[in-house]
Amino acid sequence: MLGLAKGLGYTFKKLTEKKVTHFYPDVPFPMPPRFRGIQHFSPEKCIVCNQCARVCPTECIQLTGKPHPDPEKKGKIIDTYDINFEICILCDLCTEVCPTEAIVMTNNFELAAYSRDELYKDLKWLDDNNTNVREEN
Amino acid sequence: MSELLQQAPSLGNTLWFILAAVVLLVILLGFVTYAIYFERKVIGWMQLRIGPNRVGPLGLLQTVADVTKLLIKEDTRPKNADRALFTLAPILAYAPAFGVLAVMPFTESIQFADLGIGLLYYIALSGITVLGVITAGWASNNKYSLIGGLRSAAQMISYEVPLVMSVVGVVLLTGSMNLREIVEAQRDMWNIIPQFLGFAVFIIAAQAELNRTPFDLPEAESELVSGYHVEYSGFRFAMFMLAEYVYMFGMATLITVLFLGGWLPIIPALDFIPGIVWFVLKFSAYVFLQFWLRATMPRMRADTLMSFAWKVLLPVALVNILLTAVIVSYQQGMF
Repeated sequence: MLGLAKGLGYTFKKLTEKKVTHFYPDVPFPMPPRFRGIQHFSPEKCIVCNQCARVCPTECIQLTGKPHPDPEKKGKIIDTYDINFEICILCDLCTEVCPTEAIVMTNNFELAAYSRDELYKDLKWLDDNNTNVREEN
Repeated sequence: MSELLQQAPSLGNTLWFILAAVVLLVILLGFVTYAIYFERKVIGWMQLRIGPNRVGPLGLLQTVADVTKLLIKEDTRPKNADRALFTLAPILAYAPAFGVLAVMPFTESIQFADLGIGLLYYIALSGITVLGVITAGWASNNKYSLIGGLRSAAQMISYEVPLVMSVVGVVLLTGSMNLREIVEAQRDMWNIIPQFLGFAVFIIAAQAELNRTPFDLPEAESELVSGYHVEYSGFRFAMFMLAEYVYMFGMATLITVLFLGGWLPIIPALDFIPGIVWFVLKFSAYVFLQFWLRATMPRMRADTLMSFAWKVLLPVALVNILLTAVIVSYQQGMF
């Protein structure tokens, strides 16, 4: 009998206690600083070394370069850069290998879409994805 | 209300009866809607969640959405089910649940029928629901339904005995089975104090009658995949659900009338507050207790269930009757 009253008292006390749930879709959920989210890509830093595409375990990165428009300068600049988020596993290898920090991780993670086509993110989209960029890469 | 019943039947007062019944039904549906909402809210709060909060402001339309979804579902029926009984069962379960409310005095003036044996009427009618449950279990042609239905029948019948026995004390004390007279007899002191033993037995047995935690074995989803209404969906399932919550309404009304002084205020000085407010307050307290218990208690084991009814509750109820009888006869100067 005492246990019963104890249990009822316990649940009653919990009634007004602070809730442990989050208002996630209404209030953004803060991720820890080293969270691996959707990549941010800055085309001006890229040297088209192809290392990210080669290291990618799922081969979800496709990129093409073109000669530098200024004939004085050597090297290439990036032309197209696509990540297929259908298969990207957000493993952080591309950002780790990038010598110029052209591709970095952000804390954004919302990828849900109604169509598979929407998961092909191009250079422009990845460039615009410049919020919550991770501090250390 | 009561004068209408005395008149000769005519088209005019028949329409009045129908109108009054429809009004009660609407109030009842409103109660059921928000009882489910508050049940989910209260349990949510107790589990450190916030409960339904998406549909409508504060989630107030959650139940409305759920019921709408239920009603527009396809009406499925197992191929080998007993067609007539399968259709009859939800009606059999729901009709008495609504019927018992006819004798309930909500205040001095709001009452449908002032029966001399109101209490007996309630107990007799509420026994019929067991038939609905067992019919549902049998007609579904499903072993889980059948086990659930039989379990439910066994439980409801055996807990009805201590339930009735615990009420006998109140009847002895009042000397009447009329619910209105029972309330009037509580002017000096609510029955919960002189009949505390009876109240305790009643509240436990009522919990089992209502098939609610910790006695919700007939609907144990983990062992019976939800018991006698496994095969029911859509509108028919809604009927069972409705019957369950209407019974909660009935039981809350009964317990308020029998033990908590109905529409009477806590102290006579607070008489200026209308009776219906007092009634609703006591009623809500009982309904809250249901939710509270559900958030706290685990389910009872099937083998301890029956022995608890027959070996603990029934003797306690009988002792209560004996004590009350002795005290009442002493007061009347029999020895």
